[in-house]
Amino acid sequence: MKHLLFIALLTSSFALEADWQQPELSHNLTVFKDVIPATDFELHDMDEEKVRLSDYKGKVVLLNFWATWCPPCIREMPSMERLHQQVDADGFKVIAVNQMEDVDQVFAFTGQLEVDPTFEILFDTTSAVSRDYAVRGLPTTYLIDKDGRIRYRAVGGREFDHAEVIKIIEQLMAE
Amino acid sequence: MKKLVLGTLLAISVVMALVTGAVASETKVHKNKNTGLLTWTLNDKGFQVELIQLLPDFIRAIYAKHNFPKDEIERAASYCVFGTILKNTSDQQLSYRVADWRYQTSDGKSHPVKTKTQWLEEWRKAGVTFSWTLLPDVGEFSVGDWQQGFTTIKLPRNAEFDLIFKWQLDGVVHTGTLENIICAPESLPEM
Repeated sequence: MKHLLFIALLTSSFALEADWQQPELSHNLTVFKDVIPATDFELHDMDEEKVRLSDYKGKVVLLNFWATWCPPCIREMPSMERLHQQVDADGFKVIAVNQMEDVDQVFAFTGQLEVDPTFEILFDTTSAVSRDYAVRGLPTTYLIDKDGRIRYRAVGGREFDHAEVIKIIEQLMAE
Repeated sequence: MKKLVLGTLLAISVVMALVTGAVASETKVHKNKNTGLLTWTLNDKGFQVELIQLLPDFIRAIYAKHNFPKDEIERAASYCVFGTILKNTSDQQLSYRVADWRYQTSDGKSHPVKTKTQWLEEWRKAGVTFSWTLLPDVGEFSVGDWQQGFTTIKLPRNAEFDLIFKWQLDGVVHTGTLENIICAPESLPEM
């Protein structure tokens, strides 16, 4: 218990430090000039149920790679939830792929957030999926079209419910 | 007379532009009022580099949380570790390679910065599979992209050095220096 408190104190002191220096979250997404297929994967969710990316073929998918210890991942998460709430669920899916943590860690983390995420959280416990997607740092996010092709990328935190991002998603949904 | 006034105004604006340009590429130092820890920031030619002092106990806590062996936790904490934020502030494609970066100690000697690949190889031998937290070796940043991670320097607590880093913007290699960087102390400085 003492050890946990110690970690919590240190983490919060880093968060204080991070509050000052974290860059503002932008909304730029980079267009993939060479459209490539998104590699399919199977991971488990918070309920230990298996989920495949291909389960969502026909929907536009925002695929986000993150971890609870990553400050910009935490900062962009509320905007992902707002995006998830705003955009038509029949044609759009937000999937947050956690890196090398377990359900208990993520459950404890999401319980501390102002808004509990209602989007899909999956567990990439060996980071094998992030390697398939050439993720070098967290957070990294891909926007995948209805045909399962990667169309946009963002390295670093973003405001995902920005009007321009929503416009891009709606354009992909309308294709 | 009119020409003289215009000429003077033009000269002043040129000087102001030069001064502004010089200020834009200066290192800014920030002291956290809660912890006393220091942060250095340099924004030059489309690349912003920020180094944040991190306490050894913070490093211990991070790697303990990820079940690292005790020896590996202590080895990581023995380094001078900085939280590092890199950002593409330009409107072009930007890239960097940590292998091109050096730190220069007060004796004038230049040393390579240890890369994530080197760390991961050592961790693998110690049975560690965790592969995050360290600054990626290579970055390919589009407009608005940024990234963060730990930079590790093999120097003792409170040691001073200059970090010399390179980046490529639109095919041109640039070099920047964060001067007089100080390794974090063993524990929080007295306020």
